[in-house]
Amino acid sequence: MHVNSESILSVSSLTKSVQVEDKTLTLLQPLNLTVAAGESIAIVGSSGSGKTTLLSILAGLDLPSSGEVYLKNQPLHQFNEEQRSQVRAQHVGFIFQQFLLINSLTALENVMLPAELANLPDAQARGEALLEQVGLADRLDHYPSQLSGGEQQRVAIARAFISKPDILFADEPTGNLDSKTGQHITDLIFDLNAKEGTTLVLVTHDPKLAARCQRQVEMDSGILNEKASAVVAESVDVESTSANDVTPETSTSQVG
Amino acid sequence: MIAVNQKKSSMWLAQSLRLLHHELRRGELTIIFLAIVLAVATVFSLTGFSGQIKHAIVANSTNTIGADRVLRLSTEVDKSFIDKSQAMSLNHARKIETESMAFAGDNMLLSEIDAVSETYPLRGELRIKTALTQENSVVVNAPKVGTVWVEPSVLSRLDVNIGDIIEIGVAPLTIAGIVTDIPDRSYRAFIAGPTVILNIADMPKTELIQPGSRMTYKYLFAGETDDIEAFEDWVKPQINEAQRWYDAKAAQNRLSRILDTAEKFLSLASMLGIVLAAVAVAVASRRYGQRHQSTVSIFKAMGASISHVKKLYCLHWTLLSCLSIATGLAVGYGLMLLGVNAIASYLSLADAPLTFTPFLTAVFTGLLCAVAFAIHPISVLVNSSPLSVIRGFSQQKVARFGWHQVPPLLALFILLFLFSQDAIMSAALLFGGIVVSFILLLFGRGLMSAGRSVGTKAGKSWHLALANLKRRASENSVQLVSFTIAIKLLLLITVMKSSILSEWEQQFPEDTPNHYLINISEHEIQPLQQFVDENNVANQGFYKVYRGRLAAINGEKTIREEDDSEQEQEQEQEQNAESASTEKSTEKSTEEKTEQSAGRRGAGRELGLTWRDELSPGNEVIEGQWWQLDDTKPQVSIESSMAERLEIALGDSLTFTLGSDEFTVPVTSIRKVNWQSRQLNFIMVFNRSVLEQYPTTAISAWSVSDQDRDMVYRFMANYPTVTLMDFAAIMAQLNNIIEQVSVAIQLILILVVLAGSLVLIAQVQASMEERERELAILRTLGARGKLLRNSVLYEFVALGAIAGLMASIGMEIAVYILQSQVFEMAGSFHFQYWLVGIGAGALFVGLIGMLSCWRLLNLSSVTLIRRTM
Repeated sequence: MHVNSESILSVSSLTKSVQVEDKTLTLLQPLNLTVAAGESIAIVGSSGSGKTTLLSILAGLDLPSSGEVYLKNQPLHQFNEEQRSQVRAQHVGFIFQQFLLINSLTALENVMLPAELANLPDAQARGEALLEQVGLADRLDHYPSQLSGGEQQRVAIARAFISKPDILFADEPTGNLDSKTGQHITDLIFDLNAKEGTTLVLVTHDPKLAARCQRQVEMDSGILNEKASAVVAESVDVESTSANDVTPETSTSQVG
Repeated sequence: MIAVNQKKSSMWLAQSLRLLHHELRRGELTIIFLAIVLAVATVFSLTGFSGQIKHAIVANSTNTIGADRVLRLSTEVDKSFIDKSQAMSLNHARKIETESMAFAGDNMLLSEIDAVSETYPLRGELRIKTALTQENSVVVNAPKVGTVWVEPSVLSRLDVNIGDIIEIGVAPLTIAGIVTDIPDRSYRAFIAGPTVILNIADMPKTELIQPGSRMTYKYLFAGETDDIEAFEDWVKPQINEAQRWYDAKAAQNRLSRILDTAEKFLSLASMLGIVLAAVAVAVASRRYGQRHQSTVSIFKAMGASISHVKKLYCLHWTLLSCLSIATGLAVGYGLMLLGVNAIASYLSLADAPLTFTPFLTAVFTGLLCAVAFAIHPISVLVNSSPLSVIRGFSQQKVARFGWHQVPPLLALFILLFLFSQDAIMSAALLFGGIVVSFILLLFGRGLMSAGRSVGTKAGKSWHLALANLKRRASENSVQLVSFTIAIKLLLLITVMKSSILSEWEQQFPEDTPNHYLINISEHEIQPLQQFVDENNVANQGFYKVYRGRLAAINGEKTIREEDDSEQEQEQEQEQNAESASTEKSTEKSTEEKTEQSAGRRGAGRELGLTWRDELSPGNEVIEGQWWQLDDTKPQVSIESSMAERLEIALGDSLTFTLGSDEFTVPVTSIRKVNWQSRQLNFIMVFNRSVLEQYPTTAISAWSVSDQDRDMVYRFMANYPTVTLMDFAAIMAQLNNIIEQVSVAIQLILILVVLAGSLVLIAQVQASMEERERELAILRTLGARGKLLRNSVLYEFVALGAIAGLMASIGMEIAVYILQSQVFEMAGSFHFQYWLVGIGAGALFVGLIGMLSCWRLLNLSSVTLIRRTM
C-alpha cells in the first residue's frame, strides 16, 4: 500500500455493501482514489450512484466493507467511532445540502461549535470574523429559523471554515437553493477555499458546480471513473440549459 | 495540559448551559418541566401536609387520653379498683360519656354528654373561654356543679348564649363557657353532636342513667411510672373482653393508623396523576430526542466524541431536573401552606415542624420521573449516528415491547411501593393498572375505528378528523385513558353527591322509621305507646334492650380476638351505630379478621339483647323454629351472619353474662335479618322468660311525617331523658363525610386533569411536524381554512367525546358496585350524566387541543408550505 506524502486523502480497494434482508447489496465496487493537498475534486453522478456513500466513508462518518482509507495519513478504516470523531474534529469541515444548523443555537454559536470541539482559541472572534466574511455580521444572534435558506448555508460555510480544516466535504451545497443564491454560495465556497488553501471534496450532480473544481470523478452504479477535464467542460455547455429545471425536483427528493 | 483540560470541561459546560438556556427560552422543555413540577409539588404538598396533621394531632399533643391509663367499661367499676389505685398513690378522675338531648326552650339538640369529675383531666389540658370575645382560652378542670361548658355550635344551634340555661335530661344547667380544647377528644367519623361538659355530680340530677342505659364509664389514672405499671399488672387480669385498659400510645396508634390509611389512600390516588405526569415526561422526552437527533449527529460529524455528547446531555438533563424539582418543591410548599391555612380553624399546625421525609419523597419522585421515563429516548439520542447528517433523519422506531419499558415500569413500582409500603399491593396495583389501561385501550381503539367508518359519511371535516384520530390511535390512547379516568372521577363525584344517597333514601317504603328513640325507661313506655297509637305514628313497637356479653359457646370461654386498638375501633363503631340499630355495625363486625387463636372467638363486645314473643317483621327463620308463646323454656334465636362468623349451630348452648348474672340457653333458631331495612333488629333475640325479670330501658323506631314532626318533638320534650335521634341528622353526617371525600377526589381530579392535559399537549407537540405537513398538503390541494380548522377541532372533540363515553360506562359500573355492595340496593342507570360526561370531555379536550394547535392553525398557507416543503 502506498501512502503518498503529498496526498491528504487516499483510498485503495474500497468497497461498501449492505445487507438488505437476505440479499447483499453492493453500493461501491472496489475503487481507488487519491486527493492531493489543496486540490478541489468533484464527485458527480446520478441519484443512487453511490457518491454520497463514498463521501460519508471518505469523511470518516461511515466505514468501508473492505479496503483502506487514509485521511492525513490516519487509517480511518481501522478507527472506531470515537477515533474517527477525533480525526473529524481536527481535520475535517462539512457543508450539507440541508445546511444542518443546530436550531437551538444562534448563528454565531453554530459557527463556533467546531472550533470549540477542536479546542481552538478565540472561537468567538474567529466566528464573528467569518460571519462578517460571508456577509452576516448583523445576524450573529439570529436563530437558524430566522434566516433564509441562503443565509443558513452561509452560516454553514462559516462553520465549515472556522476550524481551518485540512479538508472540506461539501454534499450538494447548493441543492436546496435557487440558482442565483446557489451561485453566490458557490462563489463563497471557492473564494474561502482559495484563501484558506483547503482541500475540497464536493459531491454534486450540478455539472456547472462540478466544473469549478480542478478535477472531477464520476460515480456510476458504484463504479468510480476519472473524468478528463476537457470532456467535463464540454458537457457543461450541453447540460447547463437543463440544469435549472432539474434542481427543484432533485431538492425535494432529498428532503427527509 | 491542565489548562487544556480545564478549557475542555468549561467548554462542554458552556455548551450544555447554552443548549438548556435556548431550549428553555424556546419552550421545548416546558412540558417536561411542568410535568416534573406537577409530580414533585403534588407529592411534597401531600406528604408534607399529612405529616404535619399527623404530627399536630398525634405527636404534638402531649396526651390524647387525659391520663396515663384509662379503664373503659359500660358499667361503674367495682370500688376496689379505686381503692387500690389510691393505695398505690395514683390520682384518678372519672368521666361518663353518653349521647342525649340538650334542650333550650323549644329547641333540642342531640349532643355528646361528657360528665367529668373535679380532677379531670389528669394529663393534657381542657381549655375554655368564658366569653365569645375572649382572646385566649384558659385551662380548667371540671365545670362547677350546676354549670356546663359547651362547644361553640351548641350556642348557635340552640339559639342560646353564655349565661343561659339549657336542660340536660331533666337537669337545668347554666352555660358557663365555651370549650376550645378537649384532651381526650375522640376522632370518630360519626359523632352524635357537639359536646356538652358537665360536672359528674350533676349526672344523677339529669336522670339519664337508668337501668340498661347506654353509658360509657371511663376511669382515668395517672401517677409515677412504677406505680402505674404496678397498678396495670393488678388490673389487667381482672378485665373482660368488653372492657378496655389502654394508654395514650394505644390511642395514638389507632389515630395515626387512621391517618396513615387516609394518607395512603390519597397518595395512591394521587399516583394516578403522577403516573400521567411521568407519561407526559416520556412523550415529551421522546419528541425531544427526535428533535435533537440532528443536533447530536451534527455535533458528532463535527468531531464531538460520544462522551462529550453524553456529558452535554447528562448535564442538560440534570440541570432541567434540578430546576423542575426545585420549582416543584417551591410550588408544593406553597400548596401545603394553603392547606394549612384552610384548616387553621380546625387544627393549628403552627408548631408542627416540617420533616425531611416529604422533601426526600418529593425529590425522589421528581428524579424517578425525570430519569426513568426519559432514559430510553435520551440514550437513543446520545447514540444517534453521525451518518444521519448525510443519510437523513428517520423517526425513532420504538418497539412496542422491549427492555426499554423496564425502567418506567420499575419506576412505577418503586413509586407505588414508596406510597403504599406494601410490595404485594404495589404489584397488584401496577398489574391492575396495566390491565385496566389495556381494556380501556382496546375499547377506545374500537370506538375510534367505529368512528372512522361513521366519519366517511359525516362530511369532509368530520371525515378528516376521524381518519386522523384513527391513524394516531396508539398515540391517542394515552390521552384517552387519562381523560377517561378524569371524567369518570368527575361523574362519580357528581353522581355520588346528587344521586346515590337520595336514591338510597327513596327506596325505603313510606313508613320506614326516620326517628330512633333510645333510653326509654319502663314507666315511659306506656305513655309513649299511647301517644303513637293515638296519633297514628307508624312504629315498630318498643324493644327492651339489655346489655350483655356472650361469655361462652358450648361451655368454651370466648376470648378477645384482636389487639386492643382494633377492639376499640370496633367498639366505637358499634357504639355509634348499634344504639339506633342502624345496620352498619354488624356488617363491620362480619368483615373483621377471622384470625383463629386459642379458645372460641366471641362477639368481641357487649351486645344489645332483647326478647320477643313473635318474630319481628323482616326477620325470617332459616333454621330451627321460632318458639311458641307458651314455651317458657329459655332459648335464643341468633342472626345468621353472626352464627356463621362464630361457627354457632342450632342446638349449641350459649352462655351470657348480664351485669353480675350468668345464664346459658340453647340456640333454637337462626334468623336471616335484613339489616338494610332501617328497622330495629337484634343479633340475639331471647324468649320472654330469659330476660323479662331484669330492669332495663327500651328503644323504639318511629316514622314521623313532616306534618307530625312538631307535634312529636313538643311531646317528646316532656321526656327529656329519652334520646331522640333524627335519621336525617345521621344522613346529614353521611353527606358531610361524602362531601369531605369529594374534596379529596376533587383534588385528585384536578391533578389528573392537569397531568392529562400535559400528556395531550405533549402528544400534540409530538405530532406537530406531521400535522404541519398534512395541513400543507391539504392547503396545496385547495382545502379551505375552515375545513382545516374544523377537522383539527373535531379530532379533539371526538377524542374527548369517546373518553366521556367510556368514562360514563365506567362510572355506571362503579356506581353499580357502590349500590350493590355498599348500599345493598338495586342498581340504576344515570343516563342524564352520560351527556355531561361526553359533553365535558368533548369541550375540554377540544379546547386544550385547539389551544395547543393554535399556532399551527394560524400559520398562513405560504408559511406552512414553505416550512414543510
